[in-house]
Amino acid sequence: MTQSKIDWPAALRAADSGAQAAAVEALRELLQNGLRIALNGRGDVSEAHLEDFAQESLLRVLARLDQFQGRSQFTTWAQAIALNVAFTELRRKRWQDVSLDALLADGERMMEPAMMADDVLGAEEDRTRLVVALRQAIENDLTPKQRAAILGELREMPFDQIVELLGTSRSAGYKMLHDARRALKQRLHEAGVTGADIRNAFN
Amino acid sequence: MKKKDQLLTREQVGGIVKMLGLTTDREFDCRECLQHVSEFAEAQLAQSPANHVLAKVEQHLALCPECAEEFVALMKILQAAQ
Repeated sequence: MTQSKIDWPAALRAADSGAQAAAVEALRELLQNGLRIALNGRGDVSEAHLEDFAQESLLRVLARLDQFQGRSQFTTWAQAIALNVAFTELRRKRWQDVSLDALLADGERMMEPAMMADDVLGAEEDRTRLVVALRQAIENDLTPKQRAAILGELREMPFDQIVELLGTSRSAGYKMLHDARRALKQRLHEAGVTGADIRNAFN
Repeated sequence: MKKKDQLLTREQVGGIVKMLGLTTDREFDCRECLQHVSEFAEAQLAQSPANHVLAKVEQHLALCPECAEEFVALMKILQAAQ
């Protein structure tokens, strides 16, 4: 039987402990093979890392088995979880030395006019108006943590790292960022910047 | 005088503007995206049209570089298995 034809949830819950153990091992191997393909060519991932990621992913998948609703293949669902586990850990290692103070201080600098270099403005009047309005909105409408979170994102800091530094949960962190984006968008709208201006300004 | 790397680049300011252009009142967060991304990936592979749930996944992927990175990796695995 091919792996795609296996009823994975049933196999992983099998009453026969031998059959269940075999399914668990097959899934661990499948996840590890998938991770090997996805992370191929990265200098920061060894075979030992792949084994660790696969094992951690396997535990995560088994813990969430009841959440699988059959809208995709089970293996695709499980691989998505495995990739989330692996990339989260890789990002955490890359950014582990950044401090909360540095992130907040960086965010505060977003308020300074010089933070956006003049060459960002360009010659077009629309873009100049947009960037000026954006600077004002960042200064007036965002909290220090919102500024820090947005700047962290722009600097490609992983979202998990941002929320960890800010001492919040992933869901609360996303809401904080979403609220910040909505506030900025609303302020630009009030300043007469249209959706078309936004879409065209940096094309 | 500020160091060059302390300034927001044209691309980064453009990034803020792009984020604002994509912002809607109701969005998927990363957890909701992960719940549906496998379905979205299979639909992409089959070139099926996106329903309203998968459209929210697509919108989240446009806003979230981490989830987008994981989606690209998932597509790589699915394409290798074809």
